[in-house]
Amino acid sequence: MPSPSAKKDPYLPSKIYLYSSLFWLAIGMIYGLILSLKFLWPNFLAFGPFQVIFQYGRIRPIHTNLVLFGWLTMANIGALFYVIPKLCRNQLSFEKIAAGTGIVWNIIVLAGTVALTMGFTTTTEYAEWPLWIDVLVILGMAAVALVCFATIASRKEKQLYVSLWYFMGSLIWLIGLYIIGNLPYKLLSGVPQFLIFWFYGHNVIGLWFTTVGVGLIYYLLPYLTRNPLYSHKLSLIGFWTIATFYVWNGPHHLQNGPIPLWLMKAGVIPSVLLIIPVWSVLANVFGTLKGKWHALSRNTPLKFLIVGAVFYLVTCLQGPFHSLQGPSSVIKFTDWVPGHAHLPLFGAFSFVAFSFMYVFLPKMLKTKLYSSKLMEWHFYLAVTGMFLFAFSTWSAGVLEGFAWIEGAQYGMQFVEMLISMRPFFAIRAVAGAAMLISSFVFIYNLAMTIIKANRNSQNEEISAG
Amino acid sequence: MSGYEDEKSMLPYIIGAVILFFVGTAGTTYLPFYDDQMQAPNQNAELRHLSVESSEYRGREVYIREGCHTCHTMFVRPVLADSSLGPISQPADYYYDAPAMLGTKRTGADLMWVGNRWNEDWHREHLLNPQKVLPGSIMPRYDYLSDEDLEDLIAYLMSLKPSPQTEGRPVE
Repeated sequence: MPSPSAKKDPYLPSKIYLYSSLFWLAIGMIYGLILSLKFLWPNFLAFGPFQVIFQYGRIRPIHTNLVLFGWLTMANIGALFYVIPKLCRNQLSFEKIAAGTGIVWNIIVLAGTVALTMGFTTTTEYAEWPLWIDVLVILGMAAVALVCFATIASRKEKQLYVSLWYFMGSLIWLIGLYIIGNLPYKLLSGVPQFLIFWFYGHNVIGLWFTTVGVGLIYYLLPYLTRNPLYSHKLSLIGFWTIATFYVWNGPHHLQNGPIPLWLMKAGVIPSVLLIIPVWSVLANVFGTLKGKWHALSRNTPLKFLIVGAVFYLVTCLQGPFHSLQGPSSVIKFTDWVPGHAHLPLFGAFSFVAFSFMYVFLPKMLKTKLYSSKLMEWHFYLAVTGMFLFAFSTWSAGVLEGFAWIEGAQYGMQFVEMLISMRPFFAIRAVAGAAMLISSFVFIYNLAMTIIKANRNSQNEEISAG
Repeated sequence: MSGYEDEKSMLPYIIGAVILFFVGTAGTTYLPFYDDQMQAPNQNAELRHLSVESSEYRGREVYIREGCHTCHTMFVRPVLADSSLGPISQPADYYYDAPAMLGTKRTGADLMWVGNRWNEDWHREHLLNPQKVLPGSIMPRYDYLSDEDLEDLIAYLMSLKPSPQTEGRPVE
C-alpha cells in the first residue's frame, strides 16, 4: 500500500550515523572496562578462547578505535549531516550517498575490530587497522566530505557561520592526516616513521575531534542560551590560530627522545601557543553565557556543553605544560597520559556529542526526550566517572614517574611500584564502571525516545488511513 | 553579521586550511627524513636489522601481533627516570625498524636493551607465568603461544642488546 510515510525522511543519513554511534559506544565502553579490570586482575577473562580474544595487547587498540571511530566519529558525522543544512538553509546534497556511507562506516568499524582481535595491527596508535581498511576509510571520508562541501556550496544563506569554517577545515584535515598516518608501515622506518605516527595520533584528536567539537559548541551555545555569539573577532582568531599551530604538535610526543633539537623546538613552541585558540573559544563561550548562567541549573544539555567546554580548557592547559622537557621527564609514559587522553575525548567532545543528541535527536523524530530525569543521572554519573578517572590516573602517573626516578625501572622494583598503584587502579576501574553505566543510561534514554516516536508515527498512519 | 564580505566565499577557508596543513606536515613529517642524524644506521641498527628468515624476525612479528608495544616502550631518554635502562637511544639505532615501536606507555618495563637483562630461561618462565617470576606483576600469561612462537619471541627479546661499541656511550 503506498502510504504517505513513503515520503523521504530528510534526516535519514543523520539518523543512520547517530543510531550506529550509540551501538559502538556501548561496545567500546565495555572493552574499556575490561581493560581497567585487567590492571587489577591480569588474568581476568583469561580462559579458553577468551584468553586470546580479550588479551590486553589486542583489545587496547580495539577500545580506542571503537570509541574514536565507532562512537565519536559517527556521532560527529551524524551531527554534520544535520547542522550543515540548517546553517545553509537547504537540504543535504547526495542524500543517498550520505546514507550509504553510514552503512559502509559500520562495516569498516566491524572489520577493523575483527582484524585487531585476530592480531593484525600496524602498531600506529589510533590507526591500528590494516591497510585495506584504511583505503575504505579514506574513500568513505572523501564521500562524506563531498556530501558536506556540495551542501555548503549550494547554500541559500550566503554568510558562512563560524561552525562551517571548522567543519570545512576538519573534513580536509582528517583526510590529509589519515592518508599520511596510514602510509604502508613497511615502507618507512625508524624515528621519522614514529614522528609520522605521532603527527597522525595527535592531529586526529586536534584537527578532527576537537575542531568538529568546537564547531558544534559554536552551533549549540547560541541555540541553547538564546544569546547571540559574544565575539566574531574571537572566533576568527580561534579558527586561524588552531589551523596554524595544531598541525605542528606531533614531535612533542618524542620529548627528551631521539630527535634533533630544532624539531623539539618546532614541536613544543606551537604546543604552548595552542593556549591562544583554546582561550579564545572559552572566552567566547563565557561571553555568550553572560546573563544566562541561571539557565544551567535547569538545562541539562547546556550543562553537558559547558562542562565539556571546561574539560576542553583543562586538557589544553595540561597539554602545553607536559610538552615541556621538565614535566615530560616525570609524567611521560606513566598513567598520567591515559588520564589526559580521556579528558578531551570523553570529557570534552563526547559531552558535546551527548548535548547535541539530547537536543536534536528528539527534534529529528518530532517528539520529546523519553526522560529528563535519566538525562540528569547520565550527566552526574559521567562527570563523577570522568573526575575519578582523571584524578586516579594523574596521581598514579606522578607517583610512577617519581618511582622510576628513584630507580624502580625494571624487574621486581618495577613490580613493587605497580603493586603500590593498586588503589589507584581500583578507583580507575570504578570510574570506568561509572562512565559505562552513564553511557548505558544515555543509550537507553535515546532508544526509548526512538521507539516511542516510531510507535506514535505508526498510530498516526493508522488514524490517518 | 552582514558586514563580512570575505566570509561569503568558501575559498579562503579551503585554501587556508590546506596551506597551513601542508606547512606543518612538511615541517614535522617530511623534513626529519633529511636531518643528518636520521640519515645513516649505526651498529645497533645493524644488530636490529633482522633477516626475514630469522627466528628473531618471526619473534618480532609475534611481539607485534600480541600487542606487546601497547605496554612496553623501546625508548631510553637522557633523564633520571631512565637512568638504569642502558645506553640512551639515538635516532640511528632505529634506522631499519619498520614499524618503529618506540612506544607511548610504560605499563611494563622498557625493552630497548632487554637482551642484556635476563637469559632465555628467565624469559620462558616469565612469559608462561609472569606472576611466578615477579609476584604481583600485572602482565598477562602467554602460555597460549605455540612452542615455536614462544621460542621466536624469546629469540627476539634476547636480540635486543646494544653493540659492544655502544656500551661505552654515556648514560647520563
